[in-house]
Amino acid sequence: MAGPMRIRAASNGTETEVKVLMSHEMETGQRKDPSGALIPAHHITELTATHNGRVVLSGQFGPAVSKNPYLQFRFKGGAKGDKVTVSWVDNKGDKRSDEVVVS
Amino acid sequence: MSRFSELLLSAVLLCGSPGAAEAAGHFPNLGRAATPDEVKAWDIDVRPDFKGLPPGSGTVAHGADVWEAKCASCHGTFGESNEVFTPLVGGTTKEDIETGRVGAYIRGDAPQRTTLMKVATVSTLWDYINRAMPWNAPKSLTHDEVYAVLAYILNLGDIVPADFTLSDKNIADVQKRLPNRNGMTTKHGLWDIKGKPDTKNVACMKNCTSHVTLASSLPEYARDAHGDLAEQNRKVGAVRGQHTGGDGDAVATVNPGVALMKSQGCSGCHGIGNGIVGPAFRDVAKRYKNDKDAESRLVGHVKNGSGGNWGDIAMPAQTQVSDADVTALIRWILSGSPEN
Repeated sequence: MAGPMRIRAASNGTETEVKVLMSHEMETGQRKDPSGALIPAHHITELTATHNGRVVLSGQFGPAVSKNPYLQFRFKGGAKGDKVTVSWVDNKGDKRSDEVVVS
Repeated sequence: MSRFSELLLSAVLLCGSPGAAEAAGHFPNLGRAATPDEVKAWDIDVRPDFKGLPPGSGTVAHGADVWEAKCASCHGTFGESNEVFTPLVGGTTKEDIETGRVGAYIRGDAPQRTTLMKVATVSTLWDYINRAMPWNAPKSLTHDEVYAVLAYILNLGDIVPADFTLSDKNIADVQKRLPNRNGMTTKHGLWDIKGKPDTKNVACMKNCTSHVTLASSLPEYARDAHGDLAEQNRKVGAVRGQHTGGDGDAVATVNPGVALMKSQGCSGCHGIGNGIVGPAFRDVAKRYKNDKDAESRLVGHVKNGSGGNWGDIAMPAQTQVSDADVTALIRWILSGSPEN
């Protein structure tokens, strides 16, 4: 099971900047282990970020994204005390959702 | 380590209060004894046994705020940035925290060695942050802020939980969870005079090696990681260091005359636009602008040496430079020393 995401969200009054560090293996499915066997793919497929329940970013991730991905984005609006939630689903069906209060 | 610190300690004791008074007697009119407050301000080191650690505490949450304001621009919000410095955080696992040895470090399969993979004593982190950070304003953090920032870094490495408060009381417990705490070795020459030395130099009186062969070199992909090394070397004396800029555009546009001049060590004494020990190349070109015989005469000056034309310091004969190179250099100089 993947560890918690680290999220920071800061508002400057008009825009909110969100930085996310996910903890995920992001195995491409094309690498081989020392014995030559393929390591099965294991990566995030869908990522959603919401602001007080409204979706502000949704993305499809694939094997091209690095291990422990770092994501940074901005959206209009957002004020101190609002809640930003980031959640992902991976190709094995694992889910993770973490929430942060905008500062 | 113990021997060294004992020596240091006895030296410090010697310079202590009786010694200080004595020193004033030995060297009249030369300085004065440092006051206890001055010594206190200077003596900020924190040792692995936490001797010298000032009391205080800081939470991970407070550390995150300080981090965002003063640290994140270079180290990244999560200590992950590789832009300015190598990453602080990453490459450590729960297992490493259990064993005290970093697996990725032993196996060498981490893409890069991070601070948390390498550091063996948490006191080092505290000391370094307190002493040297932030880069542009060292020693500007309060002690509590140093505790807080350190707590934040440790939390990023999953060494302490997010609601942790780091203090002088519990920092010893954190040391017991540091991923590479058992990774420090002292059985080598750097620490122990009887240990295995870092270098091997065999003294010889006969059958000595007549020429040096390079045993290792920078790998191709890493050569320009820190820019052109030769350019960063001192300007006095022969130019040392390899050009490591790769085949980038900036390098490709440099005039071959410049490269030849640098490779032959001319820039030790001559600048292109400024005189150093010898005259600037452009001053030479200016003086001999309308002199048709200048080329052959200057070639002779380089090969055989010359003096008295530009100042008191004579130019030694440069017999190691080939005729073709000398001619090329002089033509480059007389054409106004174009840099690209």
